[in-house]
Amino acid sequence: MVRASVVVEKAGIPTASIVATGFLGQAKATAKSLGMANLGLAEYPGIIMNHSQEELRKNVETVLVPNIIKVLTKPTENAVKVNELRATDVIFEGTLDEVNEFFLQKQWSDGLPIIPPTVERVQAFLKFTDHQPDEVLGVLAPENRQATIWNVAVNGVMAGCRPEYMPVLIAVVEAIAEPDFHLRDAGATPGWEPLIILNGPIAKELDFNYESGILRAGRQANTSIGRFIRLYMRNVAGLRIAPGSMDKGSIGLGLNVVVAENEDAVSELGWESFSSQRGFDRSDNVVTVQSALSTTIPIYSAGDTALDHMDTLVEVFGGTCAFWSHTAVRKGKYFPLLIISPGVAKVIARDGWTKREIQQHLFEHTKVSVRALQKHAWQIGFSEYDLYALVAKGVVSPAYAESDDPDRLVPAFIKSEWIGIVIGGDPGRNQSKGFVQNHDQAPPISKKIILPANWQNLVGKVKKSHEAH
Amino acid sequence: MSEPTYQVVWPLGKSTYQIVAMQSRIKDLASITVGELSHGGFRDQEIRPLVEETLAKQFPGIKFIDHTVFGNIHGRNEAEVVAALPENLRQHKVDAVITGIGS
Repeated sequence: MVRASVVVEKAGIPTASIVATGFLGQAKATAKSLGMANLGLAEYPGIIMNHSQEELRKNVETVLVPNIIKVLTKPTENAVKVNELRATDVIFEGTLDEVNEFFLQKQWSDGLPIIPPTVERVQAFLKFTDHQPDEVLGVLAPENRQATIWNVAVNGVMAGCRPEYMPVLIAVVEAIAEPDFHLRDAGATPGWEPLIILNGPIAKELDFNYESGILRAGRQANTSIGRFIRLYMRNVAGLRIAPGSMDKGSIGLGLNVVVAENEDAVSELGWESFSSQRGFDRSDNVVTVQSALSTTIPIYSAGDTALDHMDTLVEVFGGTCAFWSHTAVRKGKYFPLLIISPGVAKVIARDGWTKREIQQHLFEHTKVSVRALQKHAWQIGFSEYDLYALVAKGVVSPAYAESDDPDRLVPAFIKSEWIGIVIGGDPGRNQSKGFVQNHDQAPPISKKIILPANWQNLVGKVKKSHEAH
Repeated sequence: MSEPTYQVVWPLGKSTYQIVAMQSRIKDLASITVGELSHGGFRDQEIRPLVEETLAKQFPGIKFIDHTVFGNIHGRNEAEVVAALPENLRQHKVDAVITGIGS
């Protein structure tokens, strides 16, 4: 909304932007990052969705409209851009505690202790890429700062990554810098997290965990790279929770951990990997980043046929995802992800199924009632929600407008091939777990991990160094 | 033994924005044309008529152009809709814009 107002002001037309009280800070910060720190915001007091019609009228007449008049008529001074530091400037010197305190005060830390980003440590990371340090990978909204090789390394140091993770970190940033990733919306109230899925031989090379405890903090590669992406979004995209203002995730989710697929299990099954389903070769090292809103409960499925397991996966994974289908249908996008343990996958594969059959089965058998869609859409704030209009515009298939019965069942997913399937977790247990995804905000974006020319030599030295310790 | 100290660098990136000049405000809202922009959420369809009604009482001759004329500013075609705004607003001789609703 603020983005549209800034475009209009640039075109020479004064604007007033209606903003509810709780979003004034985010709107101001967004406007500032677009060069209009003084953009006219007209406050509506309180939580719009919780007000009676009488309260709504009173608030509009006595607060909102006077604010609109003020914004459209009262002259405002232009903002002034503040000079900033250069990337390589030493900004502080102190002990470990002092550095951490400094970064906390500047809101450059996520609250956990950081490794001090000294020039020497940053340069150690830069040895693991053939890119130049000042190379720009993109501009990250909402704060519109440049993502560079240098600041990837700086934040990698801070997050506790090893220097040899650098090629992975670069690929992760390349993914979130893609315009289609919609990083600008990462501060929305649903509070999604950027989930990284890793494929390829590098999983073993860098010691990623892909078996028991795949989502647990506890293995350095999974945990520190998971920490890195949120730290990077905080520092370069400006997505900070209070006392920052750009991240309005109402509750949010916890610590990120990279999900690495069990490539050996995939090969044993004779299936495609997550990345090969997305068009990559099995020998490619690939990261995919997508939004994750929540996980399902642990899904225990049992039996010796594919259908035994699929029934439970539809019930729990499909059922959980169906609660968020109202947003997916409105945008015509939905990319949920299901992690299936190798033991469950073996039973399904034994009946001749592949990942494609799993996707198709989940798609065909997971339904949601139109009444539920409309109820949840209203409650989140989609006060205009017309399935017939969405079908007419081609956003969703005609299946959503086949009758007027509010209790009719419609597909909970948009396309079968958009349901991600990853093999991972405890090979000795019959468990799966899924992620609900946030429609067109952070759909899966995959990037090949580009290794430096002397990778084998560098990694060899690292291994020798580890062994010596 | 004294603790080691560390010289540390900045973790952010260069800010890319340019200052955008604020447009002159309007002395009197009477008889102006207001373009409405919306993404259709947060009870927009209830709030807008109330805004129009309240403003019209105070400013005779004020006109409103419905948000549907300009497209959904946060829908599937956001980029195209927002890029087309300057021309679309000019075509409709819009003097001011009310955008909503941020929530």
